[in-house]
Amino acid sequence: MSRGWRMAMVATLVVVLVIALTPYLWLIMTSLKSRIDALADQPVWLFTPTFDHYPKVFIDKDYLPLLWNSVVVASTTTLLSLVVGVPAAYVFARHDFAAKEDLFFFFTTRMAPPISVVVPMFLLFSYIGLIDTRTSLILAHSTFNLSLVVWMMRGFFADIPREIDEAAQMDGHSRAGMFLRVLLPLAAPGMAATAVLCFMLSWNEFLYALILVAFEGRTLTVGIPGLVTPHGTLWGQVAAVAVVATVPIIVFTVIVQKHLVRGLTFGAIKG
Amino acid sequence: MTVKESGVAGWLVDRGVAPVFLAPSLILLVVLLVGPFVYMVGISFTDLSYALPNHDGNFVGFDNYRRLMRDDPIFWSSFATTLGFVAATVSIESLAGLGLALLLFHHIKRRRFVLTLLLIPMMLAPVAVGLMWKLMLQGEFGMLTHYLRVVGLLGAQTAPLSTLSLVMPTIVLIDAWEWTPFVTLVLLAGMLSLPREPFEAAIMDGAGPLRIFRDITMPLLRTIIALVLLLRGIDAFKEFDKVFILTGGGPGIATELLSIYTWRINFREWDLGYGAVVAFMVYLVVLILCSVFHKAIYWTEARETRR
Repeated sequence: MSRGWRMAMVATLVVVLVIALTPYLWLIMTSLKSRIDALADQPVWLFTPTFDHYPKVFIDKDYLPLLWNSVVVASTTTLLSLVVGVPAAYVFARHDFAAKEDLFFFFTTRMAPPISVVVPMFLLFSYIGLIDTRTSLILAHSTFNLSLVVWMMRGFFADIPREIDEAAQMDGHSRAGMFLRVLLPLAAPGMAATAVLCFMLSWNEFLYALILVAFEGRTLTVGIPGLVTPHGTLWGQVAAVAVVATVPIIVFTVIVQKHLVRGLTFGAIKG
Repeated sequence: MTVKESGVAGWLVDRGVAPVFLAPSLILLVVLLVGPFVYMVGISFTDLSYALPNHDGNFVGFDNYRRLMRDDPIFWSSFATTLGFVAATVSIESLAGLGLALLLFHHIKRRRFVLTLLLIPMMLAPVAVGLMWKLMLQGEFGMLTHYLRVVGLLGAQTAPLSTLSLVMPTIVLIDAWEWTPFVTLVLLAGMLSLPREPFEAAIMDGAGPLRIFRDITMPLLRTIIALVLLLRGIDAFKEFDKVFILTGGGPGIATELLSIYTWRINFREWDLGYGAVVAFMVYLVVLILCSVFHKAIYWTEARETRR
């Protein structure tokens, strides 16, 4: 390739990266700006950072419980989805039965529109008194995380060569024993990636949380619009909440990048 | 392709393993999805409303469905808005995503690092995405509004999110900003997994890059591209978070996508009987799209195993 071409390519990539990253950088900067800098007529790029907004919103405005709720909801739904979903994924990867394809379709539920699921869920949960609890959100998030687990883990189990099953069988393992002692350890890296993805999906989720939890069970994502008012939004504080809600995601993205393609395409594309 | 069930004693005892392993997940899905779904269909035949007196779930037959079909122009305009949003975002994202994937495919140095940075927009919580763009597009002090005005692309008093003619394009572009990386990521993965031989043969035959792209890359990537478009289409159809934060459906109903309309009917007007019908319709459309996706996957898998 000619030199000019390569220069043009690098230049385009730099422009793309600037476009991709500036909004997030601006958010982080806003969370560190004084009110005067944040609301200035001319955008301020250089400023003395202030860390006031973080304690103000998390301690004075009592947003720490929201962070805790996010952590509890995301970890519990991840655990629940893995415990329930991994064995099912194994069956889909290794067993053959008549209704398999139909049953598997069942697990496309991750694509169901949340707004349609949450309408009846809201009514049922109010009926049994689950509204505004973390439990309601854990259950709601498990609907999509469970199908994510089944789709992803099915792929990881299918990647394990069948000879391993046969060898385990020869060694006298029962099917359940083989699953627990042989296949599960082999699928562990895939399971870790799946867990991280589940955690992220729940952590980022907004619509279920908006409808199902109002006060006690609120998570960080629902805390964000609560601070955006038509008049006098405290941008520094909202930005601080948003930064805390997004930083773990950046870390996780780096961890699971290798498996993202599979996770985000329901295992349709291996990546 | 069953595991051979022969040989070792005790193996047969485990034949019951499949139902035991499947049952918990099926039960959970039935309780959490099928149950509410059936309940929703039930409510759709009632006049249940938390806002009106004496509307406590009396049976009204198909009244709500009739109302949807005949007397609710806002639903249909919202449907059209949503389709427009889907068409616009999916086409922009697939073109930009394909271009970027090709760029990264040829740009070998530090590809992984560049890709990681590129993924940030789509991994962040959509609510946060909505928030950061709202911040940048503020009428009085927004960073982007300021620069757009300086370059003369925006009038002095106009703010993109509250101007009728600008709001939809703005939201489409924000969605493209968020999801183009997804298309890039998946297509790049597809490109990297392609066999090398056809490309080498074509280069030997002296084919130029454009011909290679048209006659080799595109046909080989066709199924992956179709899957990505379908996935993006389904997702765009369900869009809620960003638009909720950015405009809440406004100004007026300019950006009231179906999911926002459904939210408003159910949780602002508390018109739950009718709201159930609306939610049901959204469900149906997505269900149809999903079964297409599902068939497409089985079709691809079958084709791959045949190869």
